Amino acid sequence: MWAGLVTQLLLCVFVIRLFELESRTFYHMCLLAVGGFAVHAVLPIRYRLAFFAALSLVATAIVLGVMDTGWLVAVSAVLIGICHLRTSLGTRIGLLVAAGGSLAASRAGWVPAPWSESAWPILGSMFMFRLALYLHGLRYEETRPTVPRTLAYFWMLPNACFPLFPVIDYARFTRLYYDTEPYAIYQIGVQWIARGLTHLLLYRLVYFHLTLSPAGLESLGDLLQYLLATFLLYLRVSGQFHLIVGLLHLYGFHLPETHRLYYLASSFTDFWRRINIYWKDFMMKLVYYPSFFRLRRYGNTLALGVATAIVFLTTWLLHSYQWFWLRGGFPITTQDVLFWGVLGALVVVSTLREAQRPRSPRLTPRGWSASRALRTVGTFSAICILWSLWSSESTSEWLGIWEAAGRITLRDMLLLTGTLLLGLAIAGWAWKPPTLAPGQPVAFFRNSTVVTSATLVGLLVLAQPTVSANLPPGPKDIIQSLKLTTLNTQDAALLHKGYYEKLDNVSRLRTQLWDVYGNRPPEWREGLVATEAWRKRNDFLLGDLQPSTSVDFHGARLSVNRWGMRDRDYQQAKPPAVYRIALLGPSLTMGSGVDDSATFDAFLEKRLNQEVGGAGRRYEVLNFGIPAFTLLQQLALLEDRVFAFQPDLVVITGHAKLADGLTTHLMQVISQEVAIPYQPLKAIIAEAGVDESWRGIPIPFESVRSGLRSLGVETRLPWREAERRLHSKEPEILRWALARLVADVQANNSVPVFLALNVVNDARERNPLLLKAAEEAGFVVLDLIDVYDKHDVSSLRVADWDRHPNARGTQLIADRLYEELERRESIFNLGLTAPRAPPTNPLSGGTR
Amino acid sequence: MDEIIRTVKDYILTTYLAGENPSALTASTPLISSGILDSLATVELVSFLEQRYEIELEAHDADPSRLGTLSDIAKLVQSKLATRA
Repeated sequence: MWAGLVTQLLLCVFVIRLFELESRTFYHMCLLAVGGFAVHAVLPIRYRLAFFAALSLVATAIVLGVMDTGWLVAVSAVLIGICHLRTSLGTRIGLLVAAGGSLAASRAGWVPAPWSESAWPILGSMFMFRLALYLHGLRYEETRPTVPRTLAYFWMLPNACFPLFPVIDYARFTRLYYDTEPYAIYQIGVQWIARGLTHLLLYRLVYFHLTLSPAGLESLGDLLQYLLATFLLYLRVSGQFHLIVGLLHLYGFHLPETHRLYYLASSFTDFWRRINIYWKDFMMKLVYYPSFFRLRRYGNTLALGVATAIVFLTTWLLHSYQWFWLRGGFPITTQDVLFWGVLGALVVVSTLREAQRPRSPRLTPRGWSASRALRTVGTFSAICILWSLWSSESTSEWLGIWEAAGRITLRDMLLLTGTLLLGLAIAGWAWKPPTLAPGQPVAFFRNSTVVTSATLVGLLVLAQPTVSANLPPGPKDIIQSLKLTTLNTQDAALLHKGYYEKLDNVSRLRTQLWDVYGNRPPEWREGLVATEAWRKRNDFLLGDLQPSTSVDFHGARLSVNRWGMRDRDYQQAKPPAVYRIALLGPSLTMGSGVDDSATFDAFLEKRLNQEVGGAGRRYEVLNFGIPAFTLLQQLALLEDRVFAFQPDLVVITGHAKLADGLTTHLMQVISQEVAIPYQPLKAIIAEAGVDESWRGIPIPFESVRSGLRSLGVETRLPWREAERRLHSKEPEILRWALARLVADVQANNSVPVFLALNVVNDARERNPLLLKAAEEAGFVVLDLIDVYDKHDVSSLRVADWDRHPNARGTQLIADRLYEELERRESIFNLGLTAPRAPPTNPLSGGTR
Repeated sequence: MDEIIRTVKDYILTTYLAGENPSALTASTPLISSGILDSLATVELVSFLEQRYEIELEAHDADPSRLGTLSDIAKLVQSKLATRA
């Protein structure tokens, strides 16, 4: 049996490795956990708890390092010590609140902590709820805790990797420890680990294939997909919780399920009982029963209703409390209030209805039932809607998504009907009904070992490249996406946006993005706009670099010359025998996170002067890059100041998401009521139905707006709706801007160049339509999208959480750009090819 | 103890498990983790126990560790009866 379990666990490890599930740290922890299990299972039982606690300590030390782990041990000693003081319970609670308050002050950044930022989520996870349950256990449990048991409870092995941890009850942790045959407990653990891995893989499918941006919903079908995907993303949490509790089973903790077919809840009360069961139990123990017992003198019905309402109010507040310890913010948003308020009200009503009705038998009926199908599909749909509200960035964004419901196609109707029928067919069955006889023998093919092993082997087969290689494109893409560890399109766009803007809704970011974004140190959380190197403007540019400043930004020195360029000083008038290249673009061009001497323009200028300069010939590469500058801002900047420097080449930098930024910029311009200096652009915006004046109350739905307008109320589009409309015009705006740029550059006797270049993403991101549009507009296109290929991308990034190229990356860009210029010598006349005859025009004095 | 188990078993079978085989509900059958008793049923069971045995239960008595099986329930009732005596 031991060998069989170890074999199944090794299969799990292979699956984790091949699909790169969760983090690298998780993989290492799993290796440790499997090795630990192999030893633990054969140890005499009296040594097992101590062994588990020691193993957990080692895992934490591997993840956090010895120093941080040492600090966690010290904090643990103080907090657990307080719990055991020989004083009244009230005094101990008071002391714990005081200690927690001191830690909270440090977590909020008011008092410096001696440990690193990454230790906070683990510290929070260990103590934020468990202390309350531990104190409760000390007060009411008959068995006194031993040192190994207490350490095992607070230092649980999976905690090192999973700060978001199920709230494990101390009483259950104690009572269910080896409460049945050990190998049966271990087998449940392996089964749940395999189930957790399956959830995580399904999550990837949803994340890469179903998620949509709320601003991009075009029809009812999109809306349905969005609502469904938002709720299905919860698979990651249920997957992680299965892994956590499965791992704990390997060490004898026979804990109950954390989730039980929660997508098949047949009422709101049933949903509350099935999803995150440990949280429900925690609330029952510390909030629901104490409230009910205090209130029942007023009657059971009232007590039930009020106690349930208190549970939801507490859950809402504790949700923010939990986020405070794990992520550092304390989100109090309208969406949270509405979500918990509405769900709470629905559960209260559902509970009271159940309390009024005669009790229905718990274990029947089995088979398919139309009533159950309708109730389950109804509950699922309502939860999808509520979940989308909870996950939205704002209530106005959420209201905005419903406009898509009015745009219905035949495909949408077929999709809706098909989904509904499938849902009813699945939901009508009694899946895993409670049974009085769980110990009945099962058929061989339903045996846990067989099912688990077959699942794991199946996953391993799927992971083989030869399997997907022989499939048609659709299934091939789906299987390959199971192995993707990158961000999806929406999150990559958000990350990109986050380079420039302080994402004030950081606490609401999806977990996948948070894995990247949330790891930033505090000094990385502000953009350049928060430094003195930024100058706010009230014109179409909205802002630019403050001339003659120098700051430390993202770990590098960033200096701005007197002309507002992130560059060394230049004369405005082009000196004789100088070939000038003007580089325009966003932070990628400016060189975010690299020193002044390590921007790609600096490397290029140096190489040009070293290799082909001299003998009266010089090259100047002027960096006009400004963070977050869109194509429209590059156009405005070009006309504002670049031509005064008489460039021979004007290089516009465009990344794959160039069009995305257009809407962001225009929304800022419109909302700040800044004048738009281009008549054709104004016409496109008007055609999109977006009013430039941006006055009045934001109201969703045109019919409501016109109704209010007829009553004399000034209304406007909600932000997200305006954004969606502008988004649909991005290709048109892009084409217009490209054509105008080319016309401007050519009118100033310069050569327009479009440099296609991305930040260092996990996978090459190409936008062929953008390149084609640039070429058709008249640009010479230099395609550097593949510049990072054949390199380990993580070695080219400024930091794990910042995908701008570091000095090694900018050197690669400069070298490749040099080669591209050299290849097109006949167009640019830089004098890069042998024999080094002086170019005819560019070096003649700059009067082209 | 056996009498308490029998009484509570009858109550649970009648109220929540109509039609089930009575012999399948044993003293060690998990009542809460198996889904037989949910929070509402637990509250109803508390009321039943209080009325039937004229005892007073407190919030922490509603914990699965005390009402988790017929055996746990019998132990709890017995301890309350002993305290009352």
